[in-house]
Amino acid sequence: MADRPVTLSRHTWRTLRARRRQTPLLVVAASCVLVAAAVLMIFPGVAPHDPDLIDGAVAFQSPGSQYWLGTDNLGRDVFSRIVAGTRTGLLGPLILAIGTTLLATLVAVVAGYLGGHVDALTGRVIDVLYAVPPMVVAIVVVGITGGGWWIALAVLLVFGLPINIRLLRSAVIVRARLPYIEAARTSGFSGTRIMVFHLLPTIAAFLVAVFFLTFTYGIVDLSALSFLGLGVPPGASDWGRMIAENRAYLFQNAWATIGPTIAVVLVAVSANVVGDWIYSRYESRGRTR
Amino acid sequence: MSTDAVPSQPAPPALAVSGLTVRCPGADGMVPIAEEIFLTIAPGEAVAVVGESGSGKSVTARAILNLLPHGLESEGTVEFAGESAGRRPRGRRGARIAMVMQDPFTTLNPLHRIRDIVCETLRTPDGKRLGRRERRREAVRRLAEVGIADPAVADAYPFELSGGMRQRVGIAAAIAEEPLVLIADEPTTALDQTTQSEILALLDRLRETRRMALLLITHDLRVAAGVCGRVYVMYAGQVIEELPADRLLTAARHPYTARLAAADPPLDRRLQALPPIPGSVPAPGGRPHGCRFAPRCGWATSACTSDPVTLSDLGTGHQVRCARVGESLDLTHTRDLAEVTPGPAPTGEPIIVLREVTKRYGHKLAVDGVDFEVHAGESVGIVGESGSGKTSVARMMVGLEPVTSGSLEVRGIDVTSSKVGRDGWATVRSTVQMAFQDPSSTLNPARTVGGTITETLRLTDVPDRKARAAELLQMVGLDAGYANLRPKQLSGGERQRVAIARALARDPRVLLCDEVVSALDVSVQAHVLNLLNDLRRTLGISLVFITHDLAVVRQIADRVYVMKSGKVVEHGLAGDVLSRPRHPYTQSLIASIPAHA
Repeated sequence: MADRPVTLSRHTWRTLRARRRQTPLLVVAASCVLVAAAVLMIFPGVAPHDPDLIDGAVAFQSPGSQYWLGTDNLGRDVFSRIVAGTRTGLLGPLILAIGTTLLATLVAVVAGYLGGHVDALTGRVIDVLYAVPPMVVAIVVVGITGGGWWIALAVLLVFGLPINIRLLRSAVIVRARLPYIEAARTSGFSGTRIMVFHLLPTIAAFLVAVFFLTFTYGIVDLSALSFLGLGVPPGASDWGRMIAENRAYLFQNAWATIGPTIAVVLVAVSANVVGDWIYSRYESRGRTR
Repeated sequence: MSTDAVPSQPAPPALAVSGLTVRCPGADGMVPIAEEIFLTIAPGEAVAVVGESGSGKSVTARAILNLLPHGLESEGTVEFAGESAGRRPRGRRGARIAMVMQDPFTTLNPLHRIRDIVCETLRTPDGKRLGRRERRREAVRRLAEVGIADPAVADAYPFELSGGMRQRVGIAAAIAEEPLVLIADEPTTALDQTTQSEILALLDRLRETRRMALLLITHDLRVAAGVCGRVYVMYAGQVIEELPADRLLTAARHPYTARLAAADPPLDRRLQALPPIPGSVPAPGGRPHGCRFAPRCGWATSACTSDPVTLSDLGTGHQVRCARVGESLDLTHTRDLAEVTPGPAPTGEPIIVLREVTKRYGHKLAVDGVDFEVHAGESVGIVGESGSGKTSVARMMVGLEPVTSGSLEVRGIDVTSSKVGRDGWATVRSTVQMAFQDPSSTLNPARTVGGTITETLRLTDVPDRKARAAELLQMVGLDAGYANLRPKQLSGGERQRVAIARALARDPRVLLCDEVVSALDVSVQAHVLNLLNDLRRTLGISLVFITHDLAVVRQIADRVYVMKSGKVVEHGLAGDVLSRPRHPYTQSLIASIPAHA
């Protein structure tokens, strides 16, 4: 009995240390996501300057009190442009994530639950899509159609689907054979009802994972397409495009390149951390033990 | 006070465990799971540790082997042949002690050939691994010792072998280094009845020929009594009784042991009701200060709850941890229980009729021309080993699997025809409902208990679903408050009750129970079996009870079908089939059940 307080405190310390290690990162990441979302919603109110105002007289200003991150080669305020960039930088991935999650869930649940021919057909279509490299197709399609942000988004959506359908389908298949789903079948519920009300809640964690992973990839991929000049039109305030346009002027104002890079990395990492946390909170729901 | 239990033996015991305590991290500090365990086994002796889940028996075995899961701490001493194991690394223990695990399907590395698995630990005298040819020769010899005569097995991979063969290989690998002690943790639980008796006989033979001590961890009192000489009974982390095996089922002196033995259904007769044990095993951290069993014990007095109870010696190797050991308590034993005769031949109209039904999965014929009937109000058992097709029959009856050929009628509706239609299925669903085997996945983890039942009630025209759900929970012996709990918060037995309540929600005329008690502890099994018998009486429903356990089917079925390889080999009244089996397969099934006192 003598050693009991010792073991107790040792245990308590271990938990505390583990918690302290996790929480600040989550707080920082969540704040980043919230700030980015807030900026997206109340833009252009927070931008100190007009992001598209060209003024050759103030080209290549260094960061200072007037231009917080300096100006680019055309005298546009870098900070304002980063703020304006949330529109494409966040809205695009958001649309992508929502679209992918909805479509992938629909296909995966129907194919996984019904099985048989439906599942086999879906599987073959996915196989075909897998064989095609998405970035190359994106470049070609955008090149042929003359580009545009929506086209880029659509290509990324189509090619992001297969892996997510696979992921969700495997989760669905495992659960569709479990007694609680079979019990719903023997009770006499319709297939639709079983899919929506019985199956879907148990794969909630996977939906969260798909959503946030697609969002993160979306940020990076859309920026990459913009960087290659295939997303937004030239001159638009977009993080990827800013990096592409300003990298030639690294020595005049490095912040014009570093600023949007930090924005991409920060938002992507933060979204991932937050997504991870939400996933872990839902994770146990579909499990049976 | 001495709790040490060294019997008078000249040689040092093969295994001596004293003061073994295992702790796990709990909500506030380390909580003991197993406490102050004293065990001794003489060379060549077979000893069983029996207990239900939560008794701490497996964790005790793992602590002896120094195989505790991460985070668990143990103290106390473990000695092999008088030598302390100390904090010796695991590798050094290997030679003296070996273990056979429960699940033969996952204990053998699927990528290794049998000869490599069996000879993995063997070395030449100069410490080198054996050459390939030697490994094969050695493996063939050792496989023969565990009853595998076919030398080709040495070159096979685990997936090519049956469960029983794999367990033999597991045993051959475990005893490769000629250990002093073999610990077998539920070695036959995952196996079929007939295989089980073969494996137990093998363990017994090896123990004798090798003078090896055998420590058998099991939940099955019959197995313990049949194979071992001495038995330790564990409850809530303590050894509560140590006794010669022949007394286990008839002369136990601890109320828990007696009740556990009584809750174990007998094979030879049908009891009016199995005496269940109320309550549940207390979790580590929440165990009572006094006698651990006191809250569930009918004989508990204030003396039982005030102080921890010590083991008292009754002589002749019998020790009991009971405060009232001096008095002669009127403990109920199986032989005292009232017997009933099972129901007569069915008189009600047939509800489900199967004619020449077959079921094919790819090339495998799972069900081969089965004729089967369920009449109103009767209780039918389907008995068979794994792969006999019994579950496929059940799944076809509720429409979970299509019938390959033959006819299957539920209340006159032929479900094999393509035009059953919505109304037809509605009739089938409201006639037959099913309860499933695995309590851990039978309920949707994302829903509350009440949610699951009210959801199902949507399919009926019950006006007040909440009230009806509470009523259904009451029917299966659960408080209405359970409606707000999630499956995770329930024990296995409670989950099965909820699953039965869900099946009853549609007010069926036939309730199909597919191995509903096979994953439950004996005392909980008794609860569920009694519940099913009660429900049948009060609701007048028919039961189709699918099980591998002949003793269980004896307690519940009026008529029995015995299945083997997709065919019904014998059927008839339960008493006739189980007492006077005519088919050789049924006879071998019954003969394979460990001797029951």
